[in-house]
Amino acid sequence: MEKNFICILCPRGCRIKVDDEGTITGNFCKRGIGYVQTEMTAPTRVVTSTVRTIYKEIPRISVKTDIPIPKGLIMDVMQKINEAVIDKPMAIGDIIIENILDTGSNIVLTKPCLK
Amino acid sequence: MYDYVVIGAGIVGSFIARELSKYNLKALVLEKENDVANVQTLANSAILHSGHNPEPNSLKTKLCLLGNKLYEEVEDELCIPLLRTGAYVVAHNNDEEQKLLDLVETTKANHVTEYELLDYAEACKTEPNLAKSITKVLSLPTTKVTYPWEAAFACMENAIVNGVEFKKNSEVTNITKSKEGFVVTVNKLDNYHTKYVINATGVNTDDIAAMVEKHVSFKIKPRHGEYYVLDKRVKGFVNHVLYPLPTDLGKGVLLTPQIHGNILVGPDSKWVDDKYRTNNTPAGLEYVKTNAKHLAENVPFHQIIRSFAGIRATSDQDDFIIEESKEAKGFYHLAGIDSPGLTAAPAIAKYLVEDIMHVQDKYSINKEFNPIRFKNKEFGSLDYEQQLEFIKKDPLHGNIICKCENITEREVLDAINGPLGSNTIKGVKKRCRAGAGLCQGGYCEEKVYKLIVRETKATPLDVCYDGAKSNMFVSETKVK
Amino acid sequence: MNKEIIVIGGGASGLAAAIAAKEEGRDILLIEKESKLGGILNQCIHNGFGLEVFKEEYTGPEYANKYVQKFHESKIDFLLDTTVLHIDKIENGFEIILSSKVTGMKKVTCQSIIMSTGCYERTRGSISIPGDRPYGVITAGSAQRYLNIDGYMIGKKVFILGSGDIGLIMARRMYLEGAEVLGVAELMPYSNGLTRNIVQCLNDYNIPLYLSHTVTEIHGNDDNRLESIVIQEVNQSYQPIPGTEREFSVDTLLLSIGLVPDITLMDNLDVEHDLKTKSVKVNQAYETSVPGLFICGNSLQVHDLVDNVSMESERAGKCASEFVLAKKIESNESIKIKAGNNLLFVTPHYVDFAWASRETVIQFRSTSKIEKALLTVSQGDKELLSKRKSFIVPAEMETFTLDMNQIEKGSDILVNLEVL
Repeated sequence: MEKNFICILCPRGCRIKVDDEGTITGNFCKRGIGYVQTEMTAPTRVVTSTVRTIYKEIPRISVKTDIPIPKGLIMDVMQKINEAVIDKPMAIGDIIIENILDTGSNIVLTKPCLK
Repeated sequence: MYDYVVIGAGIVGSFIARELSKYNLKALVLEKENDVANVQTLANSAILHSGHNPEPNSLKTKLCLLGNKLYEEVEDELCIPLLRTGAYVVAHNNDEEQKLLDLVETTKANHVTEYELLDYAEACKTEPNLAKSITKVLSLPTTKVTYPWEAAFACMENAIVNGVEFKKNSEVTNITKSKEGFVVTVNKLDNYHTKYVINATGVNTDDIAAMVEKHVSFKIKPRHGEYYVLDKRVKGFVNHVLYPLPTDLGKGVLLTPQIHGNILVGPDSKWVDDKYRTNNTPAGLEYVKTNAKHLAENVPFHQIIRSFAGIRATSDQDDFIIEESKEAKGFYHLAGIDSPGLTAAPAIAKYLVEDIMHVQDKYSINKEFNPIRFKNKEFGSLDYEQQLEFIKKDPLHGNIICKCENITEREVLDAINGPLGSNTIKGVKKRCRAGAGLCQGGYCEEKVYKLIVRETKATPLDVCYDGAKSNMFVSETKVK
Repeated sequence: MNKEIIVIGGGASGLAAAIAAKEEGRDILLIEKESKLGGILNQCIHNGFGLEVFKEEYTGPEYANKYVQKFHESKIDFLLDTTVLHIDKIENGFEIILSSKVTGMKKVTCQSIIMSTGCYERTRGSISIPGDRPYGVITAGSAQRYLNIDGYMIGKKVFILGSGDIGLIMARRMYLEGAEVLGVAELMPYSNGLTRNIVQCLNDYNIPLYLSHTVTEIHGNDDNRLESIVIQEVNQSYQPIPGTEREFSVDTLLLSIGLVPDITLMDNLDVEHDLKTKSVKVNQAYETSVPGLFICGNSLQVHDLVDNVSMESERAGKCASEFVLAKKIESNESIKIKAGNNLLFVTPHYVDFAWASRETVIQFRSTSKIEKALLTVSQGDKELLSKRKSFIVPAEMETFTLDMNQIEKGSDILVNLEVL
């Protein structure tokens, strides 16, 4: 099955096609090939979200995965994030969930949680 | 057992409630909506007409003229704001000038004493943006603008203080005759016994009448009208209410300065089947835009901040219907109260109470009646020194909640906790105008809902925009 | 109270401007109406910030935190929960009326003002979407705040009008929080958001983007809550095409239909307006037509990258400082910078030779997507700059710098984009 991608490495936004044989067309420059190959074999994303806190004035604190995680695990990671609760003051960058789902990525605070 | 049950808390029902509270009697007002002034009174031009165009000798004329005068009394008594704009009715050519002269005859016949014909150049001295195609103008200095929501709140608050009961979210679902009068059923559940019933239900007057009459003598033919609201930055673009010549469809598309500096553009007029749908339509809005151009040059449409629509409770008869039911004695109709209904409202209330129902012959005067309803001046309308005084008395005036309209925390709290307080976003907006400005609540809605939560000890999930199930939020995040 | 400079607004722009002016030794007061510094960045929890300024990718709150820390280290005076009500021009400066619950109302004076008041979201009212007026039709930024800061969902079945970046970001956010996102409608035949947001916010989650479509009907239920919407395809003059109606049962319609600089505080001042940016005109020092009144960030022009806001505001801060140091900088002569072919707008609007020591950083947006373009800047017959550009899109603001030594008094400067 033919697959379609939009390269996001520059504003040009090449619409790149990969056919059944794996032939890549539509890329303007070489970087597009690399982009598509990564997207096809091991796409990763940084997930940003919020976690609950026990503090009424700051009911949610923003978090992120400190390195990108496999794209296919996004919803599983979200579920773990949704279960987490912050119950003590923490600083920006502090880890809430270590090595989430064995991805090597940690869920870290992107905002200080100061009570 | 009540003496009077008033159905409907629009501007007419509210003035009637207050009028009844001047007597020693037991009165109850039932409103199907969650607030006073939520249907016809919610969406209209806010004009107090001079009485220049209804048929001579009609109730519309008589009550419009009297109503216009009565607002001068309640302005101070009830703190109902009035803007003394005056009005210009404009003509564009010989043909229209002839019609304008006919209108002058009607104006005279209606005993509107203050009027003046101006040529274009004269009119431009006070209205520099008048459309260049205009040739003659009929000036009507007694035309004014009010703030209909505030007027209804003021009357109802004052009525409540003077002993009238008010129940919102109370839809009348049945009425039966009884030995003493009537039994009014609300929400198919609660029965209220009363000697008399007043049907002030606007678009629903025929439906309510059908509960006690086999042959209802009138029918409501709902008329839909659409408007644009221009931001208060346009203040001064026009200073008078600008009318085209009236047609069979009504007074036409107007430019109307509002109390808070905005200008209303509209309405159009369409017969519709649905009494309740106040949607905007591309055709309606386009019609409004096109026709407004005949009134003024370069109408600042780039300053539009909102559009809305309203329904007029026009009936199949020309005049207001203010009468006792022919089939059910003690049941009174106020039907077909379309324009100039807002203007006439205080006079309608007096006329109904004194001339139709003869309440003064049945009940003694309420000597305790307090005609005064006080409301602080709007913080944003004060000068610096006055604002300092306000803040000195109450530091909560220092906290600006709505920065477009300079609405303070105190004003929002009064809207929530006042005698007719509201716990909805729309209710707060109707009372203090938080969210009525340029950003339409973008900045302040969050602050308002949090104040509602704090003041009413609710959770954010409880806060509604308007009706009972119009909750702002469907859930918290992080729940399955 | 008398200050050298008052900065109005403590978001990305105000923080950067205040820090820059403080570095020059100015006496500054920053006024923020919310209870926290950092502005809208606090609710922009997604990443993609800081690549220009820090050469590293941060989330909004992290980016804000960098500046907030620096701001505190700089020991700049500031007021939170304080609203500026009014600005008056007085001799040798300005008088500002501010108000808060704690301090009440106060007048303060200053020699110079930096306006960094950001922008507000265009609402439904400003584009007159037909239909009922129920709750659930809400600007994307408001929904973002409710979701990310307060922790509440406006709805579970979402449609989005407008493909601006906030709308795209919110499509992903709502999806990740369990909402069904049924689609994004964009009036234009192209997206208004950054490509990476189209890919990572829509395509990743199979959220359809309906180009050349708009919302033409809104239905509320009896309680005044959103029930459904209708979208329609539009023709080349953006009029809905009959027969293309498609109804979606939704409880939320997010509006991402544009941002407007918030300059209402300048309504009573004699500033010159730019109808294109919907803000005011400035010279290369970010000074408005009122001497000493500076403006930067999204209140000057809506940016797509916060990094540009910070850099621009830093320059404005330095200029305001220079203004105060010089006591008063008299405009001696200025020339216009004009937007030529294919340019939506260009800032600044003037080169003022009183500010000759300042470099002139020019920013513009194109009117449409251009694959290959030639950017030329000329003054009369003299060419100041000529540069080939690839892939210019309206969604991305372009920046270049002019060497002041090249610019002469006399004729206006024209910035032009030719399609190649």
